[in-house]
Order: sequence, then structure tokens, then C-alpha cells
Amino acid sequence: MRLLETLELGRGGFPVAPSRVMFGPHETNLGNGRSLSKAHVAYYARRAAGGAGTIVIEEASVHESDWPYERAPLAASCPPGWQAIVEACSPFGPVVLAALGHSGGQGTSHWNQRELWAPSAVPEVASREVPKVMDSADIDAIVDGFANAATLAMASGCCGVEINAGQNSLLRQFLSGLTNMRSDGYGSDRSRLLREVLAAVRRVIGESAVLALRLSVDELAPWAGIVPDAGYAIAVEVAEWIDMLTVVRGSIYSVALTRPDGHVEPGFAISLARGARHALGAAGHQRVQVFAQGSIVDWGQAEWALDDGAADGVEMTRALLADADLVAKLRSGWADRIRPCILCNQLCKVRDNRNPVVSCVMDPRTGHEDTDAPEPTHSQSINCTLTIVGAGIAGLETARNAALRGFRVTVVDRNSAVGGVLPYAARGAGRDRLALAVDWLERECIRLGVAIRLGVSIDAASLETLRNETTVVLATGANHGTLPFTIESAAYVRHGVDVLALDDPALALPAGPIVVWDPIGGPLALSIAELLAANAIRREAGVILVTPDLLVGEKLSLTGDLAPAQIRLHGLGVTLVKQALVRRVSDGKVEVEDRFSGRTEVIDASVFIACGHRLPDLTLDPDETLAQVGDRVAPRTIHEAILEGRRVALGLPRS
Amino acid sequence: MSRYRYLFSPLQLGPITVRNRVVFSAHLTNYAADGLPTEQHAAYYEARAAGGAGLIITEEHSTHPTDWPYEKLIHGFNREVIPGYRRITEAVHRHGTPIFAQINHNGGQASSMYTRLPVWAPSAVADPLFREVPKAVTIREIAEIVAGYAVVAGHCAEGNFDGVELQCSHSSIVRGFLSGATNMRTDHYGGSLENRARILVDIIDAVRDAIGPTRALGVRLCGDELIEGGTTINEAVAVAKIVEATRKVDYINTSIGVATATLFMIEASMHIPPGYALFIPNAIRREVDLPVVGVGRFKDPLQVERALAEGHCDLVGVVRAQIADPDFVRKAQSGEHDDTRLCLSCNQECVGRMGLNRWLGCIENPAAGREAELSHRLAITPKRRRVLIVGGGPAGLQAAISAARHGHDVVVYERDHVAGGQVRWAATVANRAEFGDMIRNQVNELERLNVKVSLGHEIDEAFVLEQNPDVVIVATGSTPQRPYWAPEGDDRIGDVLDVLTGRFTPLVGERVTIIDELGFHQATSVAEVLADRGCLVEIITPGMVVAQDLGITLDMEGFRIRAAAKGIVCTPDSVVMGWDPELRTLSILHHVSGQMIERVTERVVLAVPNRPVDALANDLRASGFEVHCIGDALAPRRAHSAVIDGDRVGAAL
Repeated sequence: MRLLETLELGRGGFPVAPSRVMFGPHETNLGNGRSLSKAHVAYYARRAAGGAGTIVIEEASVHESDWPYERAPLAASCPPGWQAIVEACSPFGPVVLAALGHSGGQGTSHWNQRELWAPSAVPEVASREVPKVMDSADIDAIVDGFANAATLAMASGCCGVEINAGQNSLLRQFLSGLTNMRSDGYGSDRSRLLREVLAAVRRVIGESAVLALRLSVDELAPWAGIVPDAGYAIAVEVAEWIDMLTVVRGSIYSVALTRPDGHVEPGFAISLARGARHALGAAGHQRVQVFAQGSIVDWGQAEWALDDGAADGVEMTRALLADADLVAKLRSGWADRIRPCILCNQLCKVRDNRNPVVSCVMDPRTGHEDTDAPEPTHSQSINCTLTIVGAGIAGLETARNAALRGFRVTVVDRNSAVGGVLPYAARGAGRDRLALAVDWLERECIRLGVAIRLGVSIDAASLETLRNETTVVLATGANHGTLPFTIESAAYVRHGVDVLALDDPALALPAGPIVVWDPIGGPLALSIAELLAANAIRREAGVILVTPDLLVGEKLSLTGDLAPAQIRLHGLGVTLVKQALVRRVSDGKVEVEDRFSGRTEVIDASVFIACGHRLPDLTLDPDETLAQVGDRVAPRTIHEAILEGRRVALGLPRS
Repeated sequence: MSRYRYLFSPLQLGPITVRNRVVFSAHLTNYAADGLPTEQHAAYYEARAAGGAGLIITEEHSTHPTDWPYEKLIHGFNREVIPGYRRITEAVHRHGTPIFAQINHNGGQASSMYTRLPVWAPSAVADPLFREVPKAVTIREIAEIVAGYAVVAGHCAEGNFDGVELQCSHSSIVRGFLSGATNMRTDHYGGSLENRARILVDIIDAVRDAIGPTRALGVRLCGDELIEGGTTINEAVAVAKIVEATRKVDYINTSIGVATATLFMIEASMHIPPGYALFIPNAIRREVDLPVVGVGRFKDPLQVERALAEGHCDLVGVVRAQIADPDFVRKAQSGEHDDTRLCLSCNQECVGRMGLNRWLGCIENPAAGREAELSHRLAITPKRRRVLIVGGGPAGLQAAISAARHGHDVVVYERDHVAGGQVRWAATVANRAEFGDMIRNQVNELERLNVKVSLGHEIDEAFVLEQNPDVVIVATGSTPQRPYWAPEGDDRIGDVLDVLTGRFTPLVGERVTIIDELGFHQATSVAEVLADRGCLVEIITPGMVVAQDLGITLDMEGFRIRAAAKGIVCTPDSVVMGWDPELRTLSILHHVSGQMIERVTERVVLAVPNRPVDALANDLRASGFEVHCIGDALAPRRAHSAVIDGDRVGAAL
């Protein structure tokens, strides 16, 4: 398997990465102020132990003019952390690099309360903040900043550094016609700053250390931005200084598209890596190892990218968040045991004011390595039995962990399939990877000998019998929520999950316009609206998304899908009714009230789909005397279901 | 002093005597680190104690590990808070000021992001902001909540607080129980008001036991939640009576609104008249004998005095005014009324930073939020320098204040005949006038510092050469620039500033399209001015929401309501690509659908980024002067950046 082969990264054939899988740089919010923390050390060490070939540590700002998020590491404060990470990783042999960068105009002034620095006075798209135009002293300070930071990283034992000219970077802002309108030598020659930085860094780190570059070769803004051919030319132009190139895309107008969620096809940037690798090869720079990036989360696709000559290595950051042992499992021949990344971006995109700590819905220990217990190692069967009522995500994760601990586990469910509501949610447009979570959990439960009994209903009496015989955990999920408006008897009202449970919702629902009501702000309602509007007849009849908010899909800002979702909805002709409260649903009509004007509008709709909050199903054990997990506690997301399932299973007494 | 018959009369709150009626009431600061209070807390509260506040009530301390709705919340349930409590109380007591701790569980008004635990609430009703379904607590869990309050109250007593306040008002599990909108229970904690108030009475009993008779206990109640099915004034009065009947409570504090639904009425901006929530303490005070605190945008001691004199309340919560000027009370007492740095109620750096998880600051008091750090800053510089400041906007004036305070010899030159730069034009808009207090405050302070502000004086390089100062601070601001599609000479196009200065005057009945790339008050202010004048106004923005940042300052709801009433059309997601002056048509790209739209309009108003005016700075640098460029002249930003730049540069000379 190519992925498991070693890779020489430096000029003298050293250092050698033990595999071709990279754990790339990303924001974690694990920092202690602007330093790297113990949590960082445990986080990276776990990926090293799991077989990552190259680890690029979270980017450090090279100069104090850059403070892009509260816990953004500052190079001057990083040496002890870099050193601790290098030490913790070294038993496993990965190449550890320090990512260095400066966010330029894409930063924020809110932490250092200073002006932003940028090549030209182009306001940042989202914050609209106008930066200061850097003068020549500022430019010199940046070049020195990169060199000084690289010196510190090398002194801390890193094998080298990665310089960011990808997303969120000053260096790309200088390279791009979108952001560089300078009339001096850094404008007429836009790659000059990048060359100066790379030359200065190479000077201080020496010939044998690894100098990696992360470069956006497609800014997705062809009117003035870097287009792929120009991006490849930049790579060739700087090839003399670099050993590694990670090829990315995205810029100021496409921040979400550098690391998008599952709505974008995995491996979307492999062709860009191929283009860069080809251009470097043609110019005689085969020596530069090219890494592909961009939602590559399945080992098969990664292997193909290498096999097909598109890249020499693959960045699989999110795959390693979901399963830190991905490479080790491949080496053991356990490819089918790899816990999948479902590309939900729910917990791993953490550039958010609230400073959420990086984590993963599939593996909640991610980001909490220093506090959460590791997954149990598979132990001998013990004389303890456990019955779990409900084979949804929470129930299955409880079962899986209890089985790992040696419990003899039975899961019962009244339905004919496992997964609870998740298989239905996975039918929503762009959400198909959710099904991988169910498949994996079911597969692992079966492998671990969990008995899954479907079509079995438990009532109060049988529960009483059961709990006298065995430990019981309730994972009975949730029911529909109540609807806070008048519903007339003739109205056709369905709940979102029920609609997705239909074989073909577009055909099965009555003809006519459909209102999808979303009081939450995504993702369920949007995925239903998109699914329905993808049908031409439905689109013609009208799909109308109603939200109380000023924009639809408000909750998607964290996953990066907020802006892309607007484009998809418009493309499908979905009508958006914003700032609206539903007041009455009757036969063929939905009455909504504008939140601000108080004016009422009547929308023609033969179908009303409610996508509001659900309510826990407390039919069994209403006094909550038994252990309970997931939606049964409070209907939330996959994350809480898995977190609680695991927590309860690890806490079960082994008597 | 004679102005204030009531303000400076002492009052007894149970066992505690307050020397005047001004309360620095509880508010978030985001100063906590790792769940613990910090030195900044102590310095912040001490500054207000030194400034004369009658009573200080700290920000909330969480009573249970299930409660962690925002990152920088003090974890009162953790005993490790006690040393920090003691540092705070010691600092405040140094000035003879009593200080209470507010303790709280936010209940369902939270998410599990930080706790990784289910959110607890009376019933499984998702909060409108957090939108996470909470777990309806069991009787056992209710007992745990009550016990948590007692534990934390005990920590507060150990930390030498003089009292404890229960926040049951705008973000609290107790509010959740009290309110018919969030309590759907069928047991004896739901249903009748007596049942819904049961947890409050349980908590009062437990907390009084924990703190004993020598400390005060207060309860803060919401007088009107301003939500459908929520608590309104009659029920709030009934709850106050239940509280009084326990005979264990020493005062009642009040508030209005729900933090996660109607926050814009809790921390109202300058669009809402001062004293807007006084009907609440008034109604409660008629029915109970306990002292009652009134709140709601009090920014002037005279307003406080009037609320007391009219009998609405016994004490007045004054928060933002004491953030802006920690010496608010002292200045009122000594008659330096005009010296008060009046709060603008702009909400930009206090309220605005809270929602963004940043430390609390103030647009015009750059020391707010940095009291601990700045206490080390030297008051007097060893070397007095001659400082020439060009530009009398907020940046230049603040630099002058800061430099003069550090002992420098300062003179300010302003080209215009009035100081204030763009701020004074922003303040000409109806309901934005208080923004202009920023300049009034700066100019008054410069008078006290004997700094000359020379008006109507345009400075050139020759003049500076002749003056030959040691340092030049260039605060020459910024100037509108036109986008590529808007030719300079086209008199159908103007800038927001042109509208406010009267250089660009759309007529009654004309269609006016405002192009907004700033997302703040510039476009909305001008839209309202023109709509009031009888124009047909549309705001077009490339952003996903028109005037996006009004959400941060809590101006969004008010603007939307007024915009609906005035017929202002708000069009997001749209970028102007061209303008045909003959056909008076804008070509607009609706960027989410890719469609081109034509818009016929008589006038176009630009709310787009300005260009720095920095030529003088460049010239003077070339002549070898020490030049510091600040404010918009450095990079055109908002007023707070100008003040911060000015303060920093003025202090560092």
C-alpha cells in the first residue's frame, strides 16, 4: 500500500516520514493563552502513535501584529510546547513540522486592539475591517518574523517548518490580485514577499531541515485571483527553496471551501495537486514532495491519489480526528475497522468566537486526550450482562464500549433496522455520509459479539423483568416536538424525520407547494428543502423555507456551510421566507407573521413539514431510575449520543 | 450637593448600610480565566468603589457544573474561587464599599458546548438563542440545584462578600421555573404561581441558611419577559410578595426582558429612552416594603435623582455609566457634573464584546477592562515633549488627553470650526445624538487639562516646520472614496457623509438606493433620515444580512421595526456591478443566485470604506519628524479604534 510507504522529505534523504499520511495544521483552541498546552501534546502524540507520517502543528503567528483568534499560538511563546510535542511524538517517528504564518487582513483587531496589516486597503469580506497598508518597515518585520520563528522552531527540535500561503494568509494576500494593489516592488512582483520569506527561512534553518509550503493555487475568483496555472507557476518559481508543497484552494471569498463539509465531493482538490506536481516535474523539481489536501478522508481515495501519481503524500487531517489510529489499522489489515469521518464539520471547525475546543462527533475523546479516558482495549469476556433498549447511535456506542470492556451485550429495538433516526437524516440532500456512522457502529458491534435484536418492543412490564435480570441502559430516543401554532384538522402536517423515512418524499407527498418550517436554523430542514426542490415538479410547484431568523441555516456558520447553503438553495429555486413566525396551518394555507412589522402573510401550501425540536421519549421508566443516553435524555446531535453512550458504558460497574 | 436630595442618603439593606443609592449592578465582564476570578476583576470593581459607588454587585457565579453557557463564567461551585473572591472583596472594602456576589444557574439558556453535559431546565423547551433541547430536571436534580446555590453562597461568605443576590431575572433556571413560557411541569414545581415559585423559595431558604444573618440577601426578578406567554408585571409583583413573605430577603432587584430572546431591551441602546423599565420597580414598590432597585440606561446622576424622587425605586442600578466613568458618583457628589464622561449607550465595546466572548471594554474609556494592566502605567513622563496633533476627531482628541495626562505640552489643530470629525455628523441623526457625547466628553476633559484645541486651522507641512514640535501625531481621518462604477462627477451619487452634511440632498418622493459595504450605523442612519424626509429608500448590501453588526450592539430589532414602519427595503446578497447615469439604473449581481438585476433609482448613496488621509504624515516623515499616524488616517475603522490608537500613542511618547 503506497500510503504506508515511507517518504523522504528533506534534501539529503532525511528526515523520512514513516507513512505518507499528513496530519495537517488546523485551529484547535487547545492553547494555553498563546502557548501550546499539555492538551496539544496529548493530541499530537495520539496521532503520532496512530501512525501519522507527518504532523504539522497548529499554525503559530510569526509577528505580534497577528492575533487572528484568542488562542492563536504566537511563535515567540511556542518553543516549550514545540519541544514537548516533538518529544512526545518522537517514539513513533513522524516528521514534526511547525506551521508558521500571518493572517494579514484576514485576522481580527479584537484581541491586540491594533490595526490589521495587509498589502492593500482591501477590507476583509466578513468583518469588513479595513487594514493598514503595510510600509516597507512592516514588510521587513514580517520577513524577520518568519525567520525568527523558524529559528525558534528548529531550536525546539522540529524537523522543519511549513509556511502558510494558503487560506487565511498574508503571503497569499500578497500573491493575489484580489488583495494586492500595491504600486511598489511588492505589487509589480507579487511573489516577491513569498520568495523573500522562503529565502530567509531557508537561510536560518539550513539545507537539511524541511521547508514546506502550503499554497492556494486556486482562489476560486478568476477575475483577479490566483488561477491554477498561475498557482503552479508560483510553486515552480519558489521550488528552489522548498522540499514539500501542500496544495490547497480558497481565498477571501471562499473561506469555507478550503475545508468544506460533506456537501462538497471528497478529494475535490486532488486535480490541483496533480497539476502542481506535473508543473514541478516538468520544471525539474521532482524533488519537491507534493501533498494533496481537501476532504480526503477515505483511505481508498488517498491511496488512489498516490497510485495515480497525483501526489506524493496526502493530508488526511479530519480522518485522523475521527480515527487517530487510521494508519496503524491499515498496517494491521483492519481497514474495515477504521472509524469514518462523516465530513460533518460539527466539532472540528473551531474558528468561532466561543473558542470551542476541537473535537469529533465520531470520537469525542479527540481534543480531550488529556482528560478523557482512552477507548477500552478489547478485554476478555466477563460475567456481566447488559441490555440496551434502543439501537440508535447512542445505544450502539454504549454497546460497543461495553462489549470492549467484556460485557455480554444485547441491544433491542422495536424497529427493523439499527441507527434510530440517523439513517433517515442521512437521506437529506448532501448528508449521505451520516449513514457511515451507523454502518461502522453496527459493524463493530457485530464484530465484538453484541447481540442486536430488532423488532422487539419493550413495555413497562417487560422492562421490569429485564432489569431484574441484567443491567439496563435506556437509549429510546425522541418523539416529535409540539408545534407552537394553530393547526386546523384538514391541514397536511408532517415532521421532518417522517418525510425522510418515505421511500421517495418528492413523489409520496401530496401535490402542490410545500412549506418547510425551520425554527432551528439547519441542517435538517435545509437538507429536506434541497431534496424536495431537486425534483423538477416539486420545484415548479414551490418549495418554501420559513425561518424566524434574518437568514436561513444560521446554525451552519460553524460547519462552514452557511454561505454555500444559500447558493444551493437559490440554485434549486427554494423560496426563502425570513424573519417569519408561523401562526396557523390550515388546508392549503400557512399563515406567517413578520417578526418586525407584525404583518401577516398567507402562503399557499398543500404540505407543511415541521423541522423543529424533538422531545425525549420517557414512556419507559418515566422517573428516570435507569441509566439513559442520547436523545432519550434530551434530543440533540450525534455528538452527544456518542459522548453519553461511551461515558455510560465506561462507568458501568464490572461486578 | 444640593441638587441631590435622595441620591446621597444612606439606606439599610438588611444588615448592610449603603452610603448612597447608586448600585454598580451585576453584568458580565468576561474577565474570568479558567472559571476563576482574576486580578482584573478586583481592579475593575475597585475603580468603581473608589469612584463612590454605593453598592457593587459582581457578575454571576455559576452554582452547578451543568451551567456553563459562555466560556468566561466564574465557576462559583469550585472552592478554588475563594482566594479570588477575597482579593475582590478586599480591594472594594478598602474604599468602604459593600459588595455582593450574584449567584446563578442559567438553566436552559445555555448549551452543552463547554460542559459536555445535558443542559438542565424545568421542562424540555429549547431556548430561542441556544436552540438546544434541555433535560427536564427530576425532583432529585432540583434538590441538587438548590444545594448548589447553598454551596456557592457559602463560598461567597467565605470570600467575605457582604451579601448574595439571586439572579432570577433574565437568564436563570429560576426564571425558567417562574415563567409560563418555559415551565410545563405537572408536578408541584409547575402549574400555579405558587408551584412555579417553589424552587425560588427553596433556594432562598438554603442560601439564607448558608450566609447567616450578617449578610444581605437579594432577589432579582424580571418584570416583563417581553416574550409570548412569558411573565408580565402582575405576576412579577406576585412573586415579589412571595419573596417578601419568606422574611429572609433584604431587597429586590429588577430587570426587563429575557437575555436569550429580548436582550435588546435589557441592555437597551441609545434608541430607547432612559428609565424605560421604571414601571417595574414602581409596581413592585407599591406592593412590598423591601427596598427595590430600578435599572435601565441611567447615564446621568440627575436621572438617578429623579427616579428616586419620583418614588419609582429605592436604589438605581447604573452600569454602563460607571464603566464609562468610574468616578460617576464622586463627580456628582463634588459638583463636577460636567466632568462626567457620559456613557453613549452605543453598546459597541461593552455589550458588543460580551456576545463575542471578548473582555468588556468601553468605546470612550480605553482603561475599562484594562484597569489591572494600566495601574502600572506612569502618570507623569520624565521628559516633557512638545506634541502637535493634527486633527480634532476622536483619535486626535484622545491622543491629546493621553499625552497631556502624561505631562506633555500638547496642542491640537482642527481644520473644521467644530471638533469631532465624523462623529459629530453621525450624531446629527435622530436617536443617535448621544453618540456625540463622546466629543463633548473629550473636549471637556481637554479643557480641564488646559490643552488648546485650535479650530478652523488647516495645517500644512510648512506650519509644522515652523512650529518645530518634538512629536507630530497625525489624526487627519479619512475621506470617502468612490467605487470603480461610481464616477466622481456624477451628482446623482453621494456619500453618507454628504447626506448628513447637507451636500447631497435627495428630494421627497425620490427613489434612493443606499449601497452598504460597512454593515453598521452609517447606512441605516442615513436610510432613516431619508425615509423620514419622504424618500423611497432601499439598502443593498453584499452581506447576508443588511446592517449585520447592529446585532452586536442590540440595535437590530429596533432598526428592523422602524425600517418596516418607514418602508425601508433591505436587500442582502447583492453587489453593484455598474451604474448607467443616463437610464439611472444600477446593475446588481445577486451573488448567491448569479442573477443580474437592474434597479432604477434617482439617487445612490454610498456607505463604503473610506480612504485614509495620510499625505501629511508621509510628508512630515520625509522631513525627519517623529510622526505617529492614528485612527482613520492609519486605517479607516470605527470610533473605538480611533480612541484606542490615540490613547496608546499619547501614553507612549
